[in-house]
Amino acid sequence: MIGLRSTLTGRIALTVFSALILLFLALPIVVIVVTSFGNDAFGSFPPESWTLSWYKQLFADGSKWPAALSLSALVAALTTVFSLILGMTAATALVRSELPLRSAVYGLVLAPLVIPQVVVALGLFLLFEPAAMLGSPIAIALGHTVLASPIAVMILMATLKGIDERLEDAAASMGASRLTVARRITFPLAMPGLVAAAIFSFITSFDEFFISQFLSSVDTVTLPVQVFNVLQYDVDPSVTAVSALLIAVAVVALALVGVVRRLGGAGRQDGLLPTETTVGLPAGSETS
Amino acid sequence: MAGSVLTTTPARTGPPTVVPPPVSRLRRALADRRTRFGLFNAAPVVIYLAILFLYPIFSTLLLSLKGEKGGWTLHWYADAFQGANLEILLSTLRISAETSLLSLVIGFLLASAVSRLKPLWAGLVMLVVVVPHFISALVRTYGWIILLGEHGVVNNVLTDLHFPGAPFQLLYNEVGVVIGTTSVMLPYTVLLLYAVMRGVDRRLLAAAASMGAGRITIFRRVYLPLVAPGLVNAGVLCFILCLGYYLTPALMGGPKQTMVASLIDEQVMKQNQWNGASALGIILLLLTFAGLLLLRLLKSAGEAYRKRGATS
Repeated sequence: MIGLRSTLTGRIALTVFSALILLFLALPIVVIVVTSFGNDAFGSFPPESWTLSWYKQLFADGSKWPAALSLSALVAALTTVFSLILGMTAATALVRSELPLRSAVYGLVLAPLVIPQVVVALGLFLLFEPAAMLGSPIAIALGHTVLASPIAVMILMATLKGIDERLEDAAASMGASRLTVARRITFPLAMPGLVAAAIFSFITSFDEFFISQFLSSVDTVTLPVQVFNVLQYDVDPSVTAVSALLIAVAVVALALVGVVRRLGGAGRQDGLLPTETTVGLPAGSETS
Repeated sequence: MAGSVLTTTPARTGPPTVVPPPVSRLRRALADRRTRFGLFNAAPVVIYLAILFLYPIFSTLLLSLKGEKGGWTLHWYADAFQGANLEILLSTLRISAETSLLSLVIGFLLASAVSRLKPLWAGLVMLVVVVPHFISALVRTYGWIILLGEHGVVNNVLTDLHFPGAPFQLLYNEVGVVIGTTSVMLPYTVLLLYAVMRGVDRRLLAAAASMGAGRITIFRRVYLPLVAPGLVNAGVLCFILCLGYYLTPALMGGPKQTMVASLIDEQVMKQNQWNGASALGIILLLLTFAGLLLLRLLKSAGEAYRKRGATS
């Protein structure tokens, strides 16, 4: 434990164990990336010879992947827009104003993160099915926003809390209108948070499976749903390449968040990612 | 919600002289610019979630109580607690318990190891924990399917080491489901526990040691009580998240590892049995609420206990 002299064997045991856990977390990801370049998509690991053919197959004629990819990108873009609008207004209301029933509003905003996703997906299905909106990108994006907006709200609340309110007051006292203050002071200062919120909203939607599964129709299928169907029913070796692409998208997105935070001067000792606000759980007791 | 406050205030029913004080206070608050600004900004998210989150859940509840020929009934719930459905419900609880216990133990060890590392190393290790969290669970599950197959890496390594009994059947059974689901849940427990452990004052442990307490005593009497709220929090939240989890059990489990989410999916997509699916969904929801309520009760009990400890 901390602050105590620990025995050598204890330390070695804990180190080896921790390394194994890290391997446990990283291995499924590494194995996908490596296998996607291997000649034998379902075969031995490490592969005996290397190829790019699975990636080429993705965009071959008759492939179902490009349609799924573009649908997912469209849905994720729509979700990002919705979630940023909701996130900006909600964070402003929760951080920068007197709000009656503030804790109720805050609880409502975070609730989608702990409510089982099946329940959310089922409810959305019951909402959109009678409206004949199954398979519509808008419907899927509206559904994804339920999951993405709490994350955006949390990130933007943390961002707004980090902006000195006196800067806004100073601008206002010199005659700047509310809109000017927002545009010239708050918005530039909140930029890193906005970018982070946008990126997390995008990947939340891009990777989301269950709501898409309930809201998609036979011919409009998002990328994760397509991957799932292949894994469960078909055999299509290029699914490894798609999975590797999904990994690449997530890693690039996280790297972008890291870069933007660095540029935005987030010099806090939070590690490389704002874990408390992005892990997607109302951690502990912040409901007051 | 905020909208309802707005609409109730102008409705002054009685004569103006007997306006009760709370209403006038609310009116004054509403007249305040800051409050109006807040309501204006809170409106989009509240309206949005009311339509796309609260209303759908409410209609699920209604559907679960509706009989096939109209009228109200509880027989969808009775169905859910019978025969094969009951077994699925119980295996959901079993798998969730196994997974959250495993995530809690592994997460505890990893988080306590990280909390004594230097900041740079701790940052790097946490990166290995956090990055997988943002990579699609579907993809990670697929990775496990490749790893755990009969000729997968894990079995090959065990066979090469002449591990007795290798190769093992690691897929399409409970072992596979628990391994896969644990790797999805682990980042949550590690992050929640790490946040608590970072807040532990090391001097308390040193003080206990200086007064002659042994390793085990310090762990049991000082460290464990300090991190206990975090452990409870992480365990219950992990359990709640497992309850409604679909992907990994559906892809890595056998017939005995069917979870409630899979059953709901099947009833909606294949059997068009929306009422039964709704009842199952509401049961999951109630279990979730029970878990959250338990957390709240334990938290206030813990606070009361600490307060008593502080005064005596």
